[in-house]
Amino acid sequence: MPNPVRPEDAHDEAEELLPWYATGQLDPTDQALVEHHLSTCARCQRQLGLERVLVEEFRSFTPEVDTGWTRLRDRIESPARTRSSVAGIATQIWQALNRPAVATLAIAQLAFVIVSGSILLSLSRPAYQALGTSEAPPAANVLVIFRPDATEADIRGALRGSGASLVGGPTAANAYLLHVPADRRRAALASLRSTGDVQMAEPIDGAGG
Amino acid sequence: MASRPRTDTARPSGLEELELLDRVRARDLHAFERLYRIYQPRLARFLFNLVQRPQLVEEVLDDTMMVVWQTAERFRGTSKLSTWIFAIAYRKALKARIRWPDPVPDEPFDTRVSSDPGPDEQLQHRHLHDALIAAMDQLSADHRAVVDLTYFQGLGYREIAEVMNCPVDTVKTRMFHARRRLKQVISGSLPDWL
Repeated sequence: MPNPVRPEDAHDEAEELLPWYATGQLDPTDQALVEHHLSTCARCQRQLGLERVLVEEFRSFTPEVDTGWTRLRDRIESPARTRSSVAGIATQIWQALNRPAVATLAIAQLAFVIVSGSILLSLSRPAYQALGTSEAPPAANVLVIFRPDATEADIRGALRGSGASLVGGPTAANAYLLHVPADRRRAALASLRSTGDVQMAEPIDGAGG
Repeated sequence: MASRPRTDTARPSGLEELELLDRVRARDLHAFERLYRIYQPRLARFLFNLVQRPQLVEEVLDDTMMVVWQTAERFRGTSKLSTWIFAIAYRKALKARIRWPDPVPDEPFDTRVSSDPGPDEQLQHRHLHDALIAAMDQLSADHRAVVDLTYFQGLGYREIAEVMNCPVDTVKTRMFHARRRLKQVISGSLPDWL
């Protein structure tokens, strides 16, 4: 003889299903289970009222639709053109190289380019090494996006306040690449984020920030 | 509770969506635009709950719909189209979250939503609405995703398990804890009669 379902188990099971009962997403078996329990449980009846409030509230607002379609359509159409043209050129080169005479000539030309390039490079390299010149620019280690209404003065103030220097940008997404000394990056990020002008500030080289 | 006018348009039937997908398989860009406009608001909201950065929402949403465009023929109809698309979005969002693991405070969600309630209803709803947003912010991304997929997107718990690639009991447990947290936070904002 099967064990009867304990009332507290039936309650827990029905209570778990209430959100989907409220949204009409239960299968007939689950629905019957919930309805049977609801007929005797005042607590779940109150819970169901709350579930319906939550459903109504959550569904009463939606994000506005922006112009993302144009962006996506461009992405669909542009890469296709780019890929086809690049692929076409690559195919032509590959087909040409597969012809024995062309392949031999191409290898000879490639060898000539490598050898002559090496000679020219060795001749052009200075015999001394200057000190303090041609220093590589600092690597960006912070990415920041300012709020659209931030003025040039706001941006300057945020950079000064954080001790960051501008390395690049704005990118297509209006982000800027910054450099801050590694040992001060955490503080710099905190400083940037604390201003009302920064929408996002994140480390970008994988280290913590 | 007095009902507030819905700002979202009526959702098309599953059949209409499948017809659109058939045309998308045939590379019909107009059909894909229609499908995009159906799913863009739903995905934007779902993704915002997961990644909480407008820039990432935009990126992940585009990536998701690109997958739909490029792999429409792989949809076999064993699940709802919405389940398939949300599952793609969820996987894309997880990858985005790996790249951007630390959420930063963002402008309140309600500044990005349509706002056309009647003036006589604003105060009552405003309080509850704000409390709900605050409560959602205190949940984990996975809990927010389950709440959104249930209450807003109208998915069943089995579909949510499929989207999130987890057992149905995990979905139920997440929802149970999320509801408990939501109720704690909004308890002071509910209408008296509840």
